[in-house]
Amino acid sequence: MLNISNIQHFSVGDGEGIRTTVFFKGCNLRCPWCHNPENLSTSPAVLTYSSTGKTETLGRLVSAEDILPELLEDKDFYDESNGGVTLSGGEAMLQASEIAPLASMLKENGVSVLVDTAGCVAYSSFQILNPFISGYLFDFKTADENKYREIGGNLEVVVENIRRLNEDGMTVWIRIPLIPNFNTSQRSIQAICERLSDIGIRHVDLLPFHRLGSAKYEAMGLEYAYKSQQPLTKEELGNIEAIYKAYFSVKIE
Amino acid sequence: MSADYSSIRANGIYSLFTLPNPVILKSEWIAGNKHSLFCDENELVLNYAKNMVDRFSQRSFITNKDHYAPDYEHILRVGLPGMIDEIDTSLEVHKNDSDKTTTLQAMKKTLCGFSEMIRKYMLQAEALMSSPDFNKERLQFIANNCHAIVVGPPKTFAQALQLVWFCHTAFLMEGRYAMALGRMDRYLYPFYKADIDQGILTDEMVIELLENVFIRLQDDVVNICIGGQNIRGECEVNELSRCILRAVRSCNVPGPNLSLRYTKNTPDDFFDECLETIGTGLGYPAIMNDDVNIAALKKYGYAEEDVYGYSMVGCIENFVTGKQPPWSDGRFDTPRFFDYIFNNGVSATNRSVGADLCKLEDISSMADFMNVFEKQLSLGVDEYVFKFNSSNDSINQKFFAEPFLSCFCRDCIGRGLDINCGGSIYPSVHGAALMGIGTVSDSLAAIEKVVFVDKAATLVELRDAMNANFEGYGELRQKLLEAPKYGNNDAFVDKYAVWFIDCLGSLFEKKKTRDGGGIYIAAAANVSNIHAGKIINATPDGRLRSEPLSDAASPTYGRDTRGATSTVNSLSKPDYTKVACGSVVNQKFSPSMFTPEKRRKLMPLIKTYFKNGGQEIQINATSRETLIDAMEHPDKYQNLVVRVSGFSAFYVTLDKDVQLDILNRTQQE
Repeated sequence: MLNISNIQHFSVGDGEGIRTTVFFKGCNLRCPWCHNPENLSTSPAVLTYSSTGKTETLGRLVSAEDILPELLEDKDFYDESNGGVTLSGGEAMLQASEIAPLASMLKENGVSVLVDTAGCVAYSSFQILNPFISGYLFDFKTADENKYREIGGNLEVVVENIRRLNEDGMTVWIRIPLIPNFNTSQRSIQAICERLSDIGIRHVDLLPFHRLGSAKYEAMGLEYAYKSQQPLTKEELGNIEAIYKAYFSVKIE
Repeated sequence: MSADYSSIRANGIYSLFTLPNPVILKSEWIAGNKHSLFCDENELVLNYAKNMVDRFSQRSFITNKDHYAPDYEHILRVGLPGMIDEIDTSLEVHKNDSDKTTTLQAMKKTLCGFSEMIRKYMLQAEALMSSPDFNKERLQFIANNCHAIVVGPPKTFAQALQLVWFCHTAFLMEGRYAMALGRMDRYLYPFYKADIDQGILTDEMVIELLENVFIRLQDDVVNICIGGQNIRGECEVNELSRCILRAVRSCNVPGPNLSLRYTKNTPDDFFDECLETIGTGLGYPAIMNDDVNIAALKKYGYAEEDVYGYSMVGCIENFVTGKQPPWSDGRFDTPRFFDYIFNNGVSATNRSVGADLCKLEDISSMADFMNVFEKQLSLGVDEYVFKFNSSNDSINQKFFAEPFLSCFCRDCIGRGLDINCGGSIYPSVHGAALMGIGTVSDSLAAIEKVVFVDKAATLVELRDAMNANFEGYGELRQKLLEAPKYGNNDAFVDKYAVWFIDCLGSLFEKKKTRDGGGIYIAAAANVSNIHAGKIINATPDGRLRSEPLSDAASPTYGRDTRGATSTVNSLSKPDYTKVACGSVVNQKFSPSMFTPEKRRKLMPLIKTYFKNGGQEIQINATSRETLIDAMEHPDKYQNLVVRVSGFSAFYVTLDKDVQLDILNRTQQE
């Protein structure tokens, strides 16, 4: 069974075209800036919004057959826009074996599937999904081994997975979240650029930090470490972009 | 004898056109200003003319006064003198019919007055040349153009636009409103093309001339139609369509109500520029699905070329350009009929009365309920049409003659008949604007789910709850609110929206206007859904008393929570080829949806919607004011989605701080 929290129609931020995003529960990283805290745990999350008094429980077990009809509802829009389905999370790759039949059915129905991943999993998981997937939206958070460890990841695993996906001919979009006090210093950026260039990356998407997830922390009764963090200013963003541009073609999401 | 009224009316119009002193402003390249009516020194004479016109001008919107798309193509081709010649020819043909000759003489008189008005503008422009405050070049331009259109057909783009603008000004002086400019990119195009080819005009100059006109459309709803397909299915977007779009955009005033007749072969770059214009916050153009409108109009027996030449008047109303009497429409609110079913034919909250068809206790299935509801609607339709036709019958059509307007409608001149007395090629049509498709669909689904499927309440309990405005019935209201809602691609409720259009479409289809024209339906309401909602009892969908009804063809605000694709999937289910008047779907997006990259996602959303049978969409880029309002009144904005950097959220569920982040960003954009 698939452990999901939510299905979002008309997702226009992640990947090409009009997409429907399935959010999977459970993540092996603990990034303190995360904007989807409801998907960290595999258990259902209960969110109570103080502004409206509404409560929702996010987390349910479903079969591929259960959700396939809903994912096919927007097929006309995928076809018109080169869109499709995005599998996100949480870390969708943790459920690779369960996802494979779903991805396969989507492919059979002519729907492109992207996986949004932080990539800190064994390559064998990618091998399970590769046959059905049109590409990966691959988060690259830092080139600093210690910092990756701080959030529960492993830089070498990430780099190796990117390298092997490329080797296997898979399309990989590298996406770098720009997190103040984590990876936005000149040194951090320089290190990321060099590391990614080394493995042949030519294009990156930059995802500036936002705190849109903060209401969800509050609704879950959690403290959000980034609650008071201001978004990057246009000027800061411009400076960051300039460094990346020396190495890659760049798109800011 | 009765045609004599037209000659009295014509005298009034003649005076109205010729007595005021023309007003030309310094900034103008195109002259023509209704303000000459308000600042004339000879007030006495003017009042006399005005009174004379008013005496014969007591038509209203409901009785074919305005909301009209004139036949500009014809006057531009033959010119003002050519039109007068046509009247003379017709006078010769009808010389033995005194009514017709009187009617034709009246038309001629108004055209002569109109011509005289233009001549006075020419003289005024020349007189002002001695003033140091004015630009001589502009005045000479105006004087030359006025002269040219008085003596013959216009030869340049500027002359053609000047003539159209004088016509529009004259209609305003007669006291008309919502007079459409129609398909400007068609009828002005030959002039545009010739001037451009000769090198005497550039697109920049065209845009400036158009701006000169559009900027004056401030307190009006003047529909301008661009794009569309011809009879061979070719898209007619041209360079002039682009100039019109740009001029409307740079004027940034709400008066020019720009409509795009979208066809599947509309060039993507042009469509994209339309979306970009919408994203400035202007909201225009409204986007109409040409295929659906054409299919809808074809059902009424118009000639093929007239169907393909349609344009819009007022907000969205489909109009056979220059060949039918002025438009009229009325509001038909549908949720009130629930009240009659639940309360023995008498509204619980207002003085309206319907039929008492059966005891609530006798309704034992959803099919029963639908039967009763349909009977109520049917009686409502009878009443509506009866009232509409009575207000027309109360008018002696010949007494309220329209000699000037008739000159702009085929084939009044040829037939020697007034526009409202058989002169027009097609009879008058009327639009019944249905209100509350969302409220009704949600209500029917809630009744089916809560009463007949879950059996969680009886109809009697539901009635008591609604009559108490759900006070003390919180639990029942919650169940009603949880039933499926229109706009989420849920067949359980969407089937009622389909039924709504089918049912009302066929009820109105059987009705006729006074002269045998069709009564179209519209799924539109302007803002009447708010006023109607104020006096309508609580409804079975959980809507509280005095809350607005659902808007136009849209789902109830805040209830389509499953994303824009789902909204569109629901909205494309009803058969809009039965909605000949047109429909309105309002959608709000944050300004960030209008970046070049995001427009590449917005465009396929709309294309798919139309491919699947949607009729219309008008999009608001959510303004800063809306976001502020949403912070203060979250209930009204439950479905307002903001999209930024790979993340979408319902605005009202966000932290105040975050809302402010977004607000500030909106300001930057």
